[in-house]
Amino acid sequence: MRGRNLRRTLVAAGLVAASAVLVLILALGGLLAFIVASAGVSSSWNASVADLSAALTETEDGYTFTAADYLAEKELWAMLIDENGDVVWQQGKPEDVPSHYTLADVASFTRWYLNDYPVQVRIRPDGLLVAGSPKGSTWKHPFILDTEVLATVPLWFAGLFLLALLCVLGLTALVLSRQFRREQRERDTARSDWINGVSHDIRTPLSMIMGYAGQLEAAPDLSPARREQAAVIRRQSQTLRELVNDLNLTMRLDYEMQPLRRGTLHPAALVRQVAADVLNGGLEEGYALEVDLPPEAEALTLEADGPLLRRALLNLVNNCVNHNPEGCSITLGARADGKFCVLWVEDDGGGTVPAPAKGGSALAADGGAAHGTGLKLVEQIAKSHSGGLELRAGARGVLGVVRIPL
Amino acid sequence: MAYHILLVDDAPELRRMVGELLEGAGYAVTLAADCAQARAAWARQRPDAALLDVMLPDGDGFALLGELRRDGGDVPVLFLSARDEDEARLQGLGLGADDYITKPFLPQELLLRLGAVLRRVYGGPAREVLRLGDTEVHWGPGTVRRADGTEATLTAKEYALLKKLAANRGNIVTIDALCEALWEGPMVGYENTLMVHIRRLREKIEADPSHPKYLLTVRGLGYRLAREERP
Repeated sequence: MRGRNLRRTLVAAGLVAASAVLVLILALGGLLAFIVASAGVSSSWNASVADLSAALTETEDGYTFTAADYLAEKELWAMLIDENGDVVWQQGKPEDVPSHYTLADVASFTRWYLNDYPVQVRIRPDGLLVAGSPKGSTWKHPFILDTEVLATVPLWFAGLFLLALLCVLGLTALVLSRQFRREQRERDTARSDWINGVSHDIRTPLSMIMGYAGQLEAAPDLSPARREQAAVIRRQSQTLRELVNDLNLTMRLDYEMQPLRRGTLHPAALVRQVAADVLNGGLEEGYALEVDLPPEAEALTLEADGPLLRRALLNLVNNCVNHNPEGCSITLGARADGKFCVLWVEDDGGGTVPAPAKGGSALAADGGAAHGTGLKLVEQIAKSHSGGLELRAGARGVLGVVRIPL
Repeated sequence: MAYHILLVDDAPELRRMVGELLEGAGYAVTLAADCAQARAAWARQRPDAALLDVMLPDGDGFALLGELRRDGGDVPVLFLSARDEDEARLQGLGLGADDYITKPFLPQELLLRLGAVLRRVYGGPAREVLRLGDTEVHWGPGTVRRADGTEATLTAKEYALLKKLAANRGNIVTIDALCEALWEGPMVGYENTLMVHIRRLREKIEADPSHPKYLLTVRGLGYRLAREERP
């Protein structure tokens, strides 16, 4: 069980690490793409104006241009402006493109558009070669960046990378925790169904055992010895019934299937009721029971699940009985201790306290003793009320203390 | 005339055991293994009470209760269930079952609870007079008739107090439970008043109120009405 959980945790950690590496690669790829794209800002588009310039040569007869087909194919046009601002050569120049330019015109179109035609220029010894594309074919925008801002670009990328990493980690954690929870719930349901089924199947045969043993115990035609044997069967089957009930309740509390039914409760009244129940149920010979309630305990009130706390106290009393087969005197009481209500049960049998287990629990995983199911349940009930169970050596024997916040 | 009980449970051995137990206690019993048999027996026999299992092969005991209630009015119904959570479900459904007994149960538990439900619903001779040695408490007029022929009348509080103790005769009833029966609230502050009522009650029912034989104090817990001593 633990091995499987560890394996799942490792798989999850691997997934998270892989996601982080993926994010890193994507971020680096993005950075590279940006650099490459930025490098292309100043280069030509559609056609290389350098190639066009090479194709245009000045001869004695004027100009020779060898890339006319290429221009036509690309729907481009070209012209050469001399130092006076006159167009001295042109190929496919639209009619709305002027034939003379002032210095201001040139300054304008080299960066923007010439009569809405996107243009590229190349400076030649004999003037300025202008290559134009059809209107609306290219979007020109100057890319100007402050060098100080440029210096912070790595920081921006690092920040974005971290943000992306956090998002991936968060998403992964969310998905994994949901999956874990779902699987946990499925396992819990399967387990609780199973325990429910088993305890249900035990109860009916146990009814028969208890029923017949009870009848035999009271049968006047049996000898006292036989009736006593029947009484032993009856008592042991009652113990079995308590175990099944404890097991069921333990499971229900474990898997939070039993919501607390909180109500206002008087701890002193609860202690008296538990004592009365134990005495009315017939405490065996050799055992004595008394309550110890200081006057201030009478005014205490708790918001708690009465039947569950009653069960906890009954289990603590039963624990005293089970651990002192020779008989003992049991005292139960309630008092306030700061912001806590303390419900306690002590015997005078001088027995040993169950060894504390790991993980802050007062009990070992098996409950600490042969009769541990009952004590584990006490601890669970205390915890479900945000309290705790403490078992320690008292003045005369074992002291069980349930602390519940007031 | 013996009360007639309808017992519905799908486990044949349990049915037989509980059937024998009820017959041994003087009840007339009709057995049914499922909802269909239960409906038929209900219509034919008109029992005085029913003990129903919750999980039946052809249906659910709670649904069956709904049907029987519509058909048979206020006949008391007790559930026998093998599952803890059924009790919560029963409360959730708001069905008016008269009691709920979780398996496994002791024969005596079943008989006591069935008897209590039958007494509550149909009344019975045991309700009329409470005997405390030579003293008789007559619930009807609320009077105490002592051996010497004198009579005393119980006040409303004394009546409620004695009723609560008599209903749990032999068992300790805590002062909290008594206060709740008397004042329908927690006992804080009422303890002394309760003691006054107890003292006055003792004066009416005990031959020697300073040394009570029946209404006994259980120190720190409450009071107990002692059972009649058997000769």
